[in-house]
Amino acid sequence: MTGPDDNLAGAPVPGAPLPRPPQGFWATVRRDLRVGAVSGLQTFWDLAKVMIPAYGVTLALEKLGVIGWLADAARPLMQALGLPGDAAVPLVVGYVLNIYAAVGSMQALDLTARQITVLAIAILIGHNLVVEGAVLHKAGVNGFAFGALRIVAGLAAAAVANLLMGVLG
Amino acid sequence: MSGFLRELVTGSLDLLLRVFLIVVPIMVVLELFEGTRAFRAVVRAWARVVRHVGLDERSAAPTLIGFMFGLAYGGGVIVRDVRRHELGRRQVFIMSVFLSMVHAIVEDSLIFIALGASVFWVVAYRILWAALVTLALTALATHWLRRRGRAGPPPLSGRPR
Repeated sequence: MTGPDDNLAGAPVPGAPLPRPPQGFWATVRRDLRVGAVSGLQTFWDLAKVMIPAYGVTLALEKLGVIGWLADAARPLMQALGLPGDAAVPLVVGYVLNIYAAVGSMQALDLTARQITVLAIAILIGHNLVVEGAVLHKAGVNGFAFGALRIVAGLAAAAVANLLMGVLG
Repeated sequence: MSGFLRELVTGSLDLLLRVFLIVVPIMVVLELFEGTRAFRAVVRAWARVVRHVGLDERSAAPTLIGFMFGLAYGGGVIVRDVRRHELGRRQVFIMSVFLSMVHAIVEDSLIFIALGASVFWVVAYRILWAALVTLALTALATHWLRRRGRAGPPPLSGRPR
């Protein structure tokens, strides 16, 4: 993933003598500002390279109607969480798009406080999976596996919370 | 089709702007304060907490950023620190699992709390859940790597202190 032009300013080249640390407060601040800006721009570029294509995929999924299709598929699952079938829509909207879109589509539903909490847990753990998955991939783990993990673990967390809330009253 | 393209362009620019406005200041502030006593104290305190899920002191700063600001920004710092001080694959794995389960704890939680979700469940329960999942998956991955007999990360007993 890292090209030859990706070397970060401030990263030591093996074998090269260490640069002399700057002397004085303002010299240090100036150096930190410069190194911070460079590494900020580098990180921005790293993220942009993976986030923009991922965002394109996300948008295409939305336009192709994949969200509605997935929501239909997820409908039966909602019962296990004590949620109405319609709750699948904000959940899938959250998976594909982001938390804000999910909250937007949650407002169309009539949910109890407990149902809001259960759905919130599932969405908080799993959302924006394509874009954030791309970032995780860049960080060095398998983005697809982590997307699946966030869906499964998020649903499991919501189911356990629903059960516990039932027991605790 | 032209509607799609227009949305792709405006949406991408919006995304780029947001990432830029958060990532660059985070990196500058990190660089300015990373060497200070106060910052090191905060990171050390945080390291004492995340040590329980198997993260060492070098992973504490990226984890803290991700925990506070979000996965994408934490991921950015992880990418930076993997380059800078060669964070091991094991550390990257543990951080990724933990941050997958809990990130942007303030902003994201507040959105749902405003909607009427219970603070206890979306904050405390989620953190506890994240810790349990992280421990379980790390144990599983360690076990799996050992059985495959690969040169994997060291066993869970971990590093000498």
